[in-house]
Amino acid sequence: MADTPATRVAVRTAVAANERADALGDGVLAGAFVALALVFAAVAAASGDTFFFRLATEALILAGVAMAVDLLLGYTGLLSLGHALFFGFGAYVSALVLKHWSPSFWAAIGVTFAAAALLGVVAGFIAIRARGVYFALITFGLAQVVFKAVYNTRELGGSDGIIGIPQIRVEFGLFSVQASSPLGFFLVTLVFVMLLYAALAWLMRTPFGRLLVAIRANESARALPGILALARQAGGLRDRGRGRRALRQPVPHAARPGVAGAAGLPDIGQRRDHGHPRRRRHLVGALYGAVILTGLKSVIGTWTEHHLIIIGALFMLSVIFLPKGFAGYVLPRLRRRFAPGAGKPGEGA
Amino acid sequence: MTEILESLQFVYGPQVANGLAIGVAVILMALGLTIIFGLLDVINMSHGEFYALGAYLAVTLVGQGVNFWLCLALVPVAMAAIGYFTERALIQRVFHTKDRHILTLLLTFGLAIIAEDAFKLAYGPNPYKPESPISGASEILGIMLPNYRLFLIAAGGAIIVAVWLVVYRTTLGAMVRAAAWDKNMAASLGVPVERVYAGTFAFGVALAGLSGVLLAPIYSVFPTMGKDFILMAFTVVIVGGMGSIKGAVIAGLVLTQIQSISSLFISPVWSDPLVFGIMVLFLMVRPQGLAGRLGHG
Amino acid sequence: MLELDAIHTHYGLSHVLQGVSFTVAKGEVVGLFGRNGVGKTTLIKTVAGWVRPSSGRLRFEGEDIAGLASDRICRRGIGLVPEDRRVLPGLTVEENLRLGLMQAPGRAKAEAARAMQRTFERFPRLAERRSQMGTTLSGGEQQMLAIARVLVGAPRLLLIDEPSEGLAPMIADEIFALIHELRAEGIPVLLVEQNVMRALEVCDRFLALERGAVVFQGDARSSADRQRLIEVIAV
Repeated sequence: MADTPATRVAVRTAVAANERADALGDGVLAGAFVALALVFAAVAAASGDTFFFRLATEALILAGVAMAVDLLLGYTGLLSLGHALFFGFGAYVSALVLKHWSPSFWAAIGVTFAAAALLGVVAGFIAIRARGVYFALITFGLAQVVFKAVYNTRELGGSDGIIGIPQIRVEFGLFSVQASSPLGFFLVTLVFVMLLYAALAWLMRTPFGRLLVAIRANESARALPGILALARQAGGLRDRGRGRRALRQPVPHAARPGVAGAAGLPDIGQRRDHGHPRRRRHLVGALYGAVILTGLKSVIGTWTEHHLIIIGALFMLSVIFLPKGFAGYVLPRLRRRFAPGAGKPGEGA
Repeated sequence: MTEILESLQFVYGPQVANGLAIGVAVILMALGLTIIFGLLDVINMSHGEFYALGAYLAVTLVGQGVNFWLCLALVPVAMAAIGYFTERALIQRVFHTKDRHILTLLLTFGLAIIAEDAFKLAYGPNPYKPESPISGASEILGIMLPNYRLFLIAAGGAIIVAVWLVVYRTTLGAMVRAAAWDKNMAASLGVPVERVYAGTFAFGVALAGLSGVLLAPIYSVFPTMGKDFILMAFTVVIVGGMGSIKGAVIAGLVLTQIQSISSLFISPVWSDPLVFGIMVLFLMVRPQGLAGRLGHG
Repeated sequence: MLELDAIHTHYGLSHVLQGVSFTVAKGEVVGLFGRNGVGKTTLIKTVAGWVRPSSGRLRFEGEDIAGLASDRICRRGIGLVPEDRRVLPGLTVEENLRLGLMQAPGRAKAEAARAMQRTFERFPRLAERRSQMGTTLSGGEQQMLAIARVLVGAPRLLLIDEPSEGLAPMIADEIFALIHELRAEGIPVLLVEQNVMRALEVCDRFLALERGAVVFQGDARSSADRQRLIEVIAV
């Protein structure tokens, strides 16, 4: 195609249409997610259930981790095998704050926020120097080292973890929610995870977000100190998102990379189309994937405690057969239904 | 003067010798990793689990009354078959995609998760410790050493030399090096590249299994043993230079000595961070490692 | 012997070969000429199996070879001397030649040894440098090695891509003399060469490639055909 002003305008219009269609598709899926969650909450609350509430809350928390992994892998193409490190770190920090310093939810989340950001900067400083497989190996090693160190530190409870964390009340000024209330805690988690989703989705549309995508598109970008600094900030940001995970009862196994690896199931491989900066990735896939995975784990858990065998097998099968992940499979189909005018993703540019 | 001699004899000497025994096993594992990376460009995250599988196979066979020495021959053969199948069934499927680095890494990572849980399912979480097939100890230069460790050092050293000879002195090795450098040209000379890939993967897996068998009587055999060992192996490969045999041998010897000697002064909790710190340092300062790729020496 | 029928090849989005058809018969040396970027090297790579044709028929000795892996194609008897020679780094001259033996894997040991022996007799300079690394040879010697390692496997068809590229005229003469010998031995060759005049001296026939298709075939001895070739490929 000749590079005339007319074609350039046409290309730009097509790209914009694609992006709108993408945002629309993501929005539809995210809205449906919230609606389903609320319907579930109503049904579960009416029937006085606690088990499924706990499970659903766990799924939402996992969704937060999955979004963080997706932010890295899906947008910048960096595979972190040590993401559970930040998950476990957040849990430990908040547990220590709640137990030894203040029983306030906001104090715990604030301190965890700051500490995780700091750890993110440090970890990013170490890991961002390496690219590709080396990045994966460094993050893997980092998580292993910290896991072993914590596991062998008696002051942190060793293999038993920290016990005796007070049950907390989340104050919202006008009202408060008891963390031990299944419905209340589920809703609080839902709000936080959706806020995180909205913040990340917004971030990815800003120039900064485009820069992140440019990191993957252009390997030599790492030579630019500015991008490096921004990438480190991204490291911090992703971990700040991690703070809330502290709400969960900390267990040392949360620090095991295997869990986060399995959590990556639905969104691995969205990075397939590298070198195409305009192509969007689908953060929303992480939400659904986390729910599917938690559900699966629970179902499998009813007949064997060795659920990792099956989850691991699913993980491998999806790498082989569904490398674009769940969202990568569903969204193009949704888009065709809702925005038939827009072209296929990635072909507009 | 006598104090120095005594500390050499009773403190440092045994530590150096133990480090050497572990070093030989680490090198066997790292050789498998580095050859697989050098030829296929695949980071085998399940290498530690193949090592554990080798040890578990030995435990099972010995439990069935099979002689340990026979295990030493049988297990690598079985592991090679498993490795060959793994390469054909998994690695090959994503090998021709653009993202093969990350996809193969994820696949082998998934395999490692499955394997670790499968060990727990099949053998339970508790460690096994096979009896050492050689008992007694010998005195060398005034240092008392268990005979089995002496055997490990000698046998492991011989295997390392044999691996080097196969890769650098045989036509088979020339095929592997040629495929590592220029896959298309090697294929156009008639080298069956796909089979060389699978065979090399099998060879690396067999080496991991072999080191599992060799180390089983010294350490215990337990489900996470692979994960505990893999970081050291990766560090050796990175410090030595991804794909380099010579580098893996040097780095393996040096790093295990550092770990062994340092354990006299610092708590074992810090030995992993120390090894990891060295790996990070190398990635920052000299990312290509001590030596170059497969075929460079 | 070698038949191409409406071969199309794509590199990503670019359509390089757009329906190439021709044949190479037993014992003939066929030149393949055209301007830069018309797809000569892609054509060689397609026949050798480095690139898979997207459509069309590719037959060697009556059998379909389109889509076969390069090592299979090689073992059917098609030897490749690629652009830039591709001498394998980290391998000695002798190892480079030994790999060439893989082309005919069924041969007895003694026969393979004789083939090595004959090759060293034919290329005494390679014999002198047999334990040297292949990449430490001079450009001309590397080209000799690239041809020798294919000949050691007794190919029934040779693909030679830009053999004189980057070589001093005297060295290039040796290479052309070698191709001339191959012709005398009756080994069919498909030859891509920038130096059209020199190449025509060793060719029986030639093909002119233009925008991914054969636009003209001619007799290398006919001066009328030669004249037309110059017109087609001249800028």
